[in-house]
Amino acid sequence: MRAQIVAVTMPKWGMEMREGEVVAWHAAVGDPVAAGADLVDVETSKIVNTVVAPVSGVLRAIVAEPGETLPVGALLGVIAPADVAEEEIRAFVARTAASGIPDAAGGEGAPDDAHRPAPGPEPETAPPAAVQGADAPPPSAAGGEVSAGDGEVAASPVARRLARRYGLVLAGLSGTGRHGRISKADVEAALRARGVALPEPPPRRPGLPRRRGDEAAVAATPVARRLARKLGVSLLDCRPSGARGRVCKADVEAAAARAGIGLAAPGAPAPAATAEKTPMGEPLRGMRRTIAARLQAAKREAPHFRVAVAVELDHLLALKRDLEARLPEARLSLNDCIVKAVGAALVRVPEVNVRFEEERLVRLAEADVAVAVALPDGLVTPVVRSVQAKGLVALADELRDLVTRARLGTLKPEETQGGGFTVSNLGMYGVDRFDAIINPPQGAILAVGAAKRRPVVRGDDLAVATVAEFTLSCDHRVIDGAVAARFLDALRGFLEHPATMLG
Amino acid sequence: MADFDLAVVGGGPAGYVAAIRAAQLGFRTALVEEAQLGGICLNWGCIPTKALLSAADALDGARRAGRFGIAAAPDLCLAEAVAHSRRIAERLRRGVAALLEKNGVELIEGRGRLAGKGRLEVATATGPRRLSVDHLVLATGARPRALPGVVPDGVHIWTAREAMTPQAVPESLLVVGAGAIGAEFASFYADLGTRVTLVEVADRILPGEDREISALVRRAFTARGIEVRTGVGVVEASVAGEQVVATLSDQSRVSAERLLLAVGVQGNVEDLGLEGVGAKVERGFLVADAWGRTNVAGLYGVGDLVGPPWLAHKASRQGILCVERIAGVAPQAPLDLGRIPACTYCRPQVASLGLTEERARAGGRAVRVGRARLAGNGKALAAGEEEGLAKLVFDAASGELLGAHLVGPEVTELISALAVAAALEGTEEALSRAVLPHPTLSEWWGEAVLDALGRPIHH
Repeated sequence: MRAQIVAVTMPKWGMEMREGEVVAWHAAVGDPVAAGADLVDVETSKIVNTVVAPVSGVLRAIVAEPGETLPVGALLGVIAPADVAEEEIRAFVARTAASGIPDAAGGEGAPDDAHRPAPGPEPETAPPAAVQGADAPPPSAAGGEVSAGDGEVAASPVARRLARRYGLVLAGLSGTGRHGRISKADVEAALRARGVALPEPPPRRPGLPRRRGDEAAVAATPVARRLARKLGVSLLDCRPSGARGRVCKADVEAAAARAGIGLAAPGAPAPAATAEKTPMGEPLRGMRRTIAARLQAAKREAPHFRVAVAVELDHLLALKRDLEARLPEARLSLNDCIVKAVGAALVRVPEVNVRFEEERLVRLAEADVAVAVALPDGLVTPVVRSVQAKGLVALADELRDLVTRARLGTLKPEETQGGGFTVSNLGMYGVDRFDAIINPPQGAILAVGAAKRRPVVRGDDLAVATVAEFTLSCDHRVIDGAVAARFLDALRGFLEHPATMLG
Repeated sequence: MADFDLAVVGGGPAGYVAAIRAAQLGFRTALVEEAQLGGICLNWGCIPTKALLSAADALDGARRAGRFGIAAAPDLCLAEAVAHSRRIAERLRRGVAALLEKNGVELIEGRGRLAGKGRLEVATATGPRRLSVDHLVLATGARPRALPGVVPDGVHIWTAREAMTPQAVPESLLVVGAGAIGAEFASFYADLGTRVTLVEVADRILPGEDREISALVRRAFTARGIEVRTGVGVVEASVAGEQVVATLSDQSRVSAERLLLAVGVQGNVEDLGLEGVGAKVERGFLVADAWGRTNVAGLYGVGDLVGPPWLAHKASRQGILCVERIAGVAPQAPLDLGRIPACTYCRPQVASLGLTEERARAGGRAVRVGRARLAGNGKALAAGEEEGLAKLVFDAASGELLGAHLVGPEVTELISALAVAAALEGTEEALSRAVLPHPTLSEWWGEAVLDALGRPIHH
């Protein structure tokens, strides 16, 4: 029997995904689902994607409600045949949730837990003053340490979410739930003890006591099933009148009428959601949170050093103009040309084309270059593959497509993964020079300033040239200063004499 | 970063739809229009002509109401009919403006011109405005094609625009070109009492339609007093006093109070800056692939500008497909020109999609053709209509609906069912299993399906 119960878990879309936020379920508890059908939308730092049902069956439990952020491998829901008893499902959920899951689904080389950031303590909302004033330590702005332990505390998902909403630290509470798990009631009690006024639960519906039993086993039309759930009517209370003994919409309505449950008039406005606005700031969500976490980690863990060079770009700009004038299909930005030169330099100095992953140095054979794309609320870094093997026109086309889809949020997960090197160009904003933070586990990032007409010295004479400043940030654990200098020298050579890229 | 992720030049059915879809997908979108939103379709094409033809149909219905025992002597006020037509166009134009605003498309009024790859210069009322755009979609449409020797003057020698805003009903009208536009105006003016001559250089009117359909329309036109001449072109036309005198290719002369030139359209490719970026133009149209991509990076073309069929619904779909392709929306399939319906709103109406019987056979296919006459249809007879033909062409091997050709009342609505059938790749067997309601005109094409299967019931 147990083998038929299948866990739906937080997927791992690519090496860098650590957690995801449940956005919306496509099915409700009790709905039949087909293997491969869209089941639940999950937002990662980079995209919203859809988890499909791993098997056919009935969605028996939803563990992760929309809005919850959970680590990879965490239990989201349960699919099982309709005839599996409710108790078994509950036991399965309790067992799976309590076991802490990570990577229960097994599979693609999940790193061991030591390297996993604690999944718990998202700075989702600032706590109300009532809690802050109480004995619980106030969550720090940095987020990290205070709740770092919460991920390891056994707590139900609802309890976790409730605690997060009110900024309550779970570690201090004692659990009364199954296996000593902290339950929703425990959190509510703790909050009330701290003087938090919790919203009252909705009043129970009057009428017939709901029968206990397995509703999923009742034959019913999809409309009837959905309506019953909406009205809080048990299908077991309905007298089936449909073909082959199915419960129909009319049967549910009749049962609701017997129980005195009013049918909402169609189009009646939904009750206003209780305001959950925080006066003290907004939670970091999705992409923003990932940027914060990753770059914080990069800054903390990767010893950065920077080397910079000024590069004359007149030859490159002439080549760009010439190509554009002669080939209708050529539409090039300066950045396209820079990415092409970076590809060539990565081949020339492969020691820079590395990743530092799980304490291991990974040397990359292909010049896969990530390009930072600014978005209204963050940035994303799609990766152009095998830059060394592509012509400039094809590379520009690909970059334009990637940048367009990055802005629209329609990149595929794999398009933002991999590579050892990122190009970040703020030249279009007129920035003279800046330095960038490495995007781990990559080894280096190039910060490109604006190309401007500047005085240069040739021999003993002054001349005017178009010059841009390039600053390379490297992770010193895997790239040394001399290597970085050689890379910049190669890059400058390709940029100043673009014909050499053909060699 | 560019000023706009995507800009569209031209606010007709290709352009405004593309812009709205782009904005919905998250593009920062601009729409550049130099004249009226809605383009030809909404202002000077599909919509206003349908308003006029509805007036003509109402007039004809009243005239023929005697069979129902209704005595009526209808009198059409031309100015009022034209005013109605203009009001509808205006109303829809405001609707388009509201849709653009609701979707967050920035409307830039002025003429847009390419100033290099990814650069657009718009001549606005307040001076030139330069924009950088990542993706530029051209949807500047088409205009009536002129004939050498026949130059529209806006008074005696008309294009469709003058024909839909007449000051008075001309006593006589020479319509040059018997495609959809020519046939519609011939029908309209015949209803108003104008003596109409319809001249077509091909060997039949509505030359794009199935031969049997063309023949039936010609019979109906002739019965209504329209003089139809095929296989002759117009060599030259000149204005003499209040008459236009046209010399035809057989050296005969036709004189009429007005001449309407309706010999097709040519793309608005001029003064767009296409030469500057090396965009390919062939036979007066911008060259674009099934996704609207031109040979220039980041430049796209949709709608009438990129060639036939010159249909608003084709244009809109091209606009959507082009933008969705850029955005990477899945799943995508290129436009199947064989599944685009075309409608002509003359009386009798004509609607068709896909291959004619002739063309299907010429392609070497084994086909199965089903026909049904309208005369066997109860609903039509009750409404006093009996002229009509439904003709369906199926692939004999696969059962695929290759073509559907209808002439008769309301066929411009009936064709949608067959367009859906074609889109869903329904076979003749599948169509025969659909239960069609009685009494309806739809039973008529249902009978044609049965005929294709060799088991007609009603004839």
